[in-house]
Amino acid sequence: MFEPVVVDRVTKRFAGHTAVDALSLTVSSGIIYGLLGPNGAGKTTTLRMIMDIYEPDEGTVRLLGTVAGGRTHSARIGYLPEERGLYPKMRVLDVLVFLAEAKGVGRRVARARALEWLDRLGLADWRLRKVSDLSRGMQQKVQFISTVLHDPELVILDEPFSGLDPVNSQVLRDTVVDYRRRGKTVLFSTHIMEHAEQLCDRICIIARGKKLVDGTLGEVKQQHGGKHVFVAFDGSQGGAARVFADRRLVAKLQDFGQQAELELASGADAQEILKALVDSGARLARFELASPSLHKIFVDLVGPEAATAAATGDQGGHGGDATRA
Amino acid sequence: MGETRPVHKIWAIIRREFVERVRSKWFWVSAILGPVLFAGIIVFQIVQSLGGAVRNVAVVDSSSIGVGGRVVEALNASNAFRATLAPAGRHVVDSLKDLVEAKQLHGFLIVTNDLVETGRAEYRASNLGMQTIEALQRTLSRLVVKVRLEQKGVNPEVVDWAQIRISLHQKKIFHGGTVEGNATQSFLTAYFMAILLFMAILLYGVNVMSSVLEEKTTRIIEVLVSSVRPFQLMLGKIFGAGAVSFFQFFIWGVSARVLLSLRGPIARALGASPADVQTIVLPHIPAATMAVFIAFFLGGFFLYSAMFAAVGAMSSNEQEARQAQQPVTILLMISYLSILGLTNDPSSTFAKTLSLVPFTTPIATPVRWTAGSMPMWELMTSLVILALAIVGVTWVAARIYRVGILMTGKRPNLKELMRWVRA
Repeated sequence: MFEPVVVDRVTKRFAGHTAVDALSLTVSSGIIYGLLGPNGAGKTTTLRMIMDIYEPDEGTVRLLGTVAGGRTHSARIGYLPEERGLYPKMRVLDVLVFLAEAKGVGRRVARARALEWLDRLGLADWRLRKVSDLSRGMQQKVQFISTVLHDPELVILDEPFSGLDPVNSQVLRDTVVDYRRRGKTVLFSTHIMEHAEQLCDRICIIARGKKLVDGTLGEVKQQHGGKHVFVAFDGSQGGAARVFADRRLVAKLQDFGQQAELELASGADAQEILKALVDSGARLARFELASPSLHKIFVDLVGPEAATAAATGDQGGHGGDATRA
Repeated sequence: MGETRPVHKIWAIIRREFVERVRSKWFWVSAILGPVLFAGIIVFQIVQSLGGAVRNVAVVDSSSIGVGGRVVEALNASNAFRATLAPAGRHVVDSLKDLVEAKQLHGFLIVTNDLVETGRAEYRASNLGMQTIEALQRTLSRLVVKVRLEQKGVNPEVVDWAQIRISLHQKKIFHGGTVEGNATQSFLTAYFMAILLFMAILLYGVNVMSSVLEEKTTRIIEVLVSSVRPFQLMLGKIFGAGAVSFFQFFIWGVSARVLLSLRGPIARALGASPADVQTIVLPHIPAATMAVFIAFFLGGFFLYSAMFAAVGAMSSNEQEARQAQQPVTILLMISYLSILGLTNDPSSTFAKTLSLVPFTTPIATPVRWTAGSMPMWELMTSLVILALAIVGVTWVAARIYRVGILMTGKRPNLKELMRWVRA
């Protein structure tokens, strides 16, 4: 099977700290691959090395079968950087045509495709407006279009959904899924586990520049599984807290308030917990036996502080300095 | 789709740079301001030739020999003045002063016996223009010479016959040939060219810088360098901005030509005879001079733009860029401040040195050439030095640019810059 991206033990150091440490990963053709990790884990640095924007200090990156680097293949790769930007004073259509031309697409083809994409993402009426007139979400969609306008076989997206409202986020996720359906390969980074869980065929979780786990979603869940129960309350929680605290039944708890994710203690029976909850007077909206969520696995792997930072500290500011990653 | 076409990409960058700048308001403001200014100069000159130059003056005669009357006569004969005699009295100076303040009189001349004896007189006016003073002095000195000779018994007719004005027909020996021209004109041409070069290099060089900075601050740079080499990007920018400046010159040149050819009709519309308005003479610029001018403009523009591009790449906001551009601007200012010295004595050691230093040669060499004091071999030496400097500076600038465009945060110091260049 063809492997568009092969990263082999790459290391990148910045002014005294190691952003990426002997990281290896392989993305095979026609899948959606998620690179997951908290802020500062080295996701952006890894993607930049894949794109040949940074040179690795050690190790090699093979892109589309060669070590020639991203720029050589720019016609076959679409890259959406984490640092978003467009020319604010240019018209939307002109920006798209220009960026496609920079990747070697002819002017007329670029124009036709840009109009088609603007129409598809509901921006047709904005094509002659200045970029600065667009909302942030719209700009992000324009940027996404610029990433795929030259119909690349490999798309690399750095935090593509951050800063988007739920509607636009869904539109882009649908587009990504559609892209894979057409036989293309997608590699994207995120720290939002729900997105990764919905989209990815394979994932790789990294923290502090090191790989913690990789594999298909099923494999990762199996490896780090255990039996899990999702509980959602319908109003009254009764004495649920007492049941959750019982170490004979519950090994680990993620309490979200109205919802909770439990990992069963070894030998415990889920039915026992259900009975105990009902007896305690809790009103249940949901009680489900399942494999653990990616979020749970993520938190277990990278540690709760890092995960909390990842869940809340997303928008804006990070990664601006090249010495961070 | 598979193969990449570098030329196509550079072309796309040049076009974007050109189209976006030409679309901007500022381009058209300056494109229109040029011709408007030029039209203003033409109209001003026509209005001046319409007798605005004739000054009403009064002559107060406090002499005992009645020289005032002859002064009035001489002034009226000169066409530049309409003079009246004011008899000396107690309050005459005050009342004339009131007339000057009421703008009914341009000024008044007070003559005493001193005029003939020691050559002294007094002129009072609200506006002491150079031309008026010179015309007064010229007229008075001719008159005084005449009066003094008469006092020694010389026949006035002989005096008139003896006074003759010399007109010097000036021809300039210029690179092997002889052309019509005069000192003022070649000085002005050289001066004008130098200013134009300085302005164009500074304005459009700074344009390159702000364009680099825009891509850096909006962060679009990361997408660009993932598809285009930084060096291609820098070249495209410089060529694009250069094309814009040529387009600007072209608009100015064409509109100046059109306005000049319309001089006659404009003059008639303002009620002057076209023959009166031949004051604006376009200096004859030989093709060789034009070629030298264009070559050194291109070279200078490229040299400085590469430096400005590097400055833009190493800064992360406008303020930083303003500071970091100072060394580059100072290099350019040295040429600017030397323009007067260059045009006054284009063959001095100072001028020769400036035309051999890469950073001053873009302005110094065209000036020396226009002034006609530069041998061909010196011109060629300057050109070679400039070409070598462009290669060297572009190489260094491209390396700074390559690293700088992806950097944010604090501006690099000299040591770090050296590391970027060596990397």
